[in-house]
Amino acid sequence: MADVRDIMELEQPATPEITRESIIGSDKLKKRTFTTTKVSRRPEGMHREVFALLYNDNKDAPALFPSDTSNGYKQTKIKLGMRKPRKWEWIPFTNPARTDGAVFYHWRRPSDGPKEYPFAKFNKKIEVPTYTDAIYQQHLQSEDWTKEETDHLMDLAQRFDLRFIIMSDRYDTEKFSKRSVEDLKDRYHKVCGTLAKISGEKKVYHYDADHERRRKEQLKRLYDRTPEQIEEEQSLLNELKKIEARKKERERKTQDLQKLISQADNQGDSLRKSDKKLPKKKLANPARPSRVDTSHILQAVETAGIKFPDYKNSGVSLRSQRMKLPANVGQKKSKGIEQMLQEMELELNPTPTEEICLNFNELRSDMVLHMELKAALATCEFELQSLRHQYEALNPGKSLAIPPQLLSSTTEQDGTKLIGNAEIIDVVGSPGTPSGSGT
Amino acid sequence: MENMSLPTDFGPDSGGRIKGMCIVKPIVYGNVARYFGKKREEDGHTHQWTVYVKPYYNEDMSAYVKKVHFKLHESYSNPNRIVVKPPYEISETGWGEFEVVIKIHFSDSNERPVTMYHILKLFHTGGTNDIGVEQGKGLVSESYDEIVFQDPTQLMHHLLTNSKPLAMSSWEHNTNFEEKKKKTLKAIIDAKQKVRSEIIMLKNRLKLARETISQFKEEIAKTQENQYVI
Repeated sequence: MADVRDIMELEQPATPEITRESIIGSDKLKKRTFTTTKVSRRPEGMHREVFALLYNDNKDAPALFPSDTSNGYKQTKIKLGMRKPRKWEWIPFTNPARTDGAVFYHWRRPSDGPKEYPFAKFNKKIEVPTYTDAIYQQHLQSEDWTKEETDHLMDLAQRFDLRFIIMSDRYDTEKFSKRSVEDLKDRYHKVCGTLAKISGEKKVYHYDADHERRRKEQLKRLYDRTPEQIEEEQSLLNELKKIEARKKERERKTQDLQKLISQADNQGDSLRKSDKKLPKKKLANPARPSRVDTSHILQAVETAGIKFPDYKNSGVSLRSQRMKLPANVGQKKSKGIEQMLQEMELELNPTPTEEICLNFNELRSDMVLHMELKAALATCEFELQSLRHQYEALNPGKSLAIPPQLLSSTTEQDGTKLIGNAEIIDVVGSPGTPSGSGT
Repeated sequence: MENMSLPTDFGPDSGGRIKGMCIVKPIVYGNVARYFGKKREEDGHTHQWTVYVKPYYNEDMSAYVKKVHFKLHESYSNPNRIVVKPPYEISETGWGEFEVVIKIHFSDSNERPVTMYHILKLFHTGGTNDIGVEQGKGLVSESYDEIVFQDPTQLMHHLLTNSKPLAMSSWEHNTNFEEKKKKTLKAIIDAKQKVRSEIIMLKNRLKLARETISQFKEEIAKTQENQYVI
């Protein structure tokens, strides 16, 4: 109890428990109470968390090396009780299972009183059915078994409590021919069954000797395998596993191939389409074909934006739920929206009334469109620059004029800064100003 | 009188929904917090706070709300607190901010509960959008939301339209949401117009860019032909 109280940090009871120390008298108790009163205080400026790491709940100083002073988790010594031990006595007893009345001795507490031998309850005798001559003649005749042999069997069953293995071992092989355990069991159960039927019992046990013989034969064969045979079996099993694995792999590969073929078919279609375009382009600029096809980007851009789901389903929902960006809006886009909202000094989660939700969603959809347009414009600009350089390479001293609105995409004409610009990578190193260049 | 005309057997599966009906119940949820003035010695707690859900308009929500489930930080004993009648609030002390999960269950179990997430605010933080107002009550951080009942069940419709006022006195909130709504809407509409005008501009520039690209390509093709001739 004292340990538990220590752990729970409960106060020591006013009257200490009766322990060995309290009787024998030891100074240990005093010492312990002294140590618990010593509380280390947290130094000024030290964080609580750090202090908690250094000092445990008991406010004991941390152990720097293993100490063995306190009781800790050590098992206390056996409490020597104050009671006297009870006596044991060497007492004679008889086992009712024995008929010879032999007397043996064992240790027992006299306080338990004279009792029947406790293991006597296990003295069970098996009831082996008996039959008269008349009944035998009438019901139990058998081609294989004489009455004499059957009598011998029943006698053995009685003597050895149906332990058929022993019965077969003690079988009188001089008088009768050798019989297997199954034969004995078969005959015994048949006799029992017949007698039970005669006495009018409905539930009769049947013994399937054939099945039993086959079972034993099987076990015997399994047991009789030579090490070579076991090894062979193992290797065959391994082979089977390998074959199955290979089969699976083949199936997987054919599936992959099927996929590839169907993909190739799809691509073939699109390839044919672009094939028609390619020759034209090659004629147009064989020197450096433009890698970015801007036309399809522009088409995609026209339809850009966010598709917010319709909230027409029955049931309860929160209005603010409708302002959630759908999952198909990528991280890049949502980041861009966030940035634009911040630059416009708008809340990321405005007060969700119906009107605000509607307008806010439209705003963000527009923002995505804005970003897409921006990106498309940047691509176009890059293409323009590269085309101009191509032209300049073909016609030394000459250049093409890019319309001024298309240049310097970082600043708008009206001076407002556009947001969320995609950076234009100037690969070719474009000339600083397009001034004075004419076709 | 009204009750007479309504079907009386609102069994658990009388739940035929009234199609096309939409009832909106605005709510306010959030927390107030008050600083002790110092750290409490016993447990290190520094603030007293109350997290709450209340109707935006003066009404007794218990007519249609079965219970409100507040899930506090797991370090609180019994972090799942359930309130079955107004005021729907939990008062506690603590030292840290955390996310409170607020789940409103409705009287008709055919209507699914709605869940809100509120970051319990104890400290004034500049820059963030929380509504930290000093009003003698300490700090307030609350949000407005609307529970939308689309096609409510008959039972729910009955309960939603027959709630009684909660308080006799005037019903006010710590935050002036009406003003906030107006301001926000205006700001959003302004921003939308701005973005739209920029989009038009961008589209024009894009069109020009495409034209210029094809023009450039033609020029290049011409010079190439000339070169071949030479």
